[in-house]
Amino acid sequence: MVKINAKHVNPFVEAAMRVVTQIAGIEVRRGHLSYKERVEPSFGVSIIIGIYGFLTGQIVYSMDGQLAERLVDKMLEGKSPQEKKIMFLDCLGEVANMITGNATSLLNQRRDQILNITTPAIASGTNLNVHLVPKPALVLGLITQYGPIEISIAVEEKETLQEVGGSDDGLLSET
Amino acid sequence: MAKRVLVVDDANFMRTIVKDTLAPNGFEICGEATNGAEAVTKYAELKPDLVTMDITMKVKDGLEAAREILAADPNARIVMVTALGQEKMLLDSIALGVRDFVVKPFTKERILSAVEKALH
Repeated sequence: MVKINAKHVNPFVEAAMRVVTQIAGIEVRRGHLSYKERVEPSFGVSIIIGIYGFLTGQIVYSMDGQLAERLVDKMLEGKSPQEKKIMFLDCLGEVANMITGNATSLLNQRRDQILNITTPAIASGTNLNVHLVPKPALVLGLITQYGPIEISIAVEEKETLQEVGGSDDGLLSET
Repeated sequence: MAKRVLVVDDANFMRTIVKDTLAPNGFEICGEATNGAEAVTKYAELKPDLVTMDITMKVKDGLEAAREILAADPNARIVMVTALGQEKMLLDSIALGVRDFVVKPFTKERILSAVEKALH
């Protein structure tokens, strides 16, 4: 049976706090956790990263344009407005990449498996229609002084096949 | 003579951070690549002293690129710079011959120390 699990949330909270504070010097606090039948980003800038391995699905980060600009501004302190403009989407993708990457390290304490992530896809602007895999999601709100960040975690634990101990009929059972 | 570094990352932002850290500390950035396939080609062309390599990239990922570079030049010095810090990935990289593994976000001191150590 496919299910989403609340234990997958904490690594994202921990990773987001660590990454955003270190790269942008912006403090992050934990907000509300909710459930949605499908992922629907609430703000104008969305960053989507796929995750695959023993967990599969998507992580969608959403924030408003003002917070996105603040983040990029802090990350590229000392760079010209032109350089900031060129690297705007790139910076946001990298923030999401770092949070997801760090969270996978916390999620995966196993020595024999790798949890992989995809490169980020970024959608920015008004009246955007983002097509996402229609999966239920746990939606985590994070609070910063410049506005909220919403992280939708739509991942499922992959069903694995294990040999039944002591069985000599070669049967496999699902766990 | 300044040591020559090839910086490989699909994010312009990360390449900029790595360049801005290494260049003022006496390293020459001899080239950049945005994916693993480009990294393999540029390594053969430029023969850098060291490569900083991201893992998650389109076309060809950093682990595959490191494997190909090290197959062609077993003395290649490669430092992985990645957001993925899982233990198996780290162990696989070290087994491959990669010199160090830096997890993003990193401090300037951490990447400088990894690069300097890899070159000695």
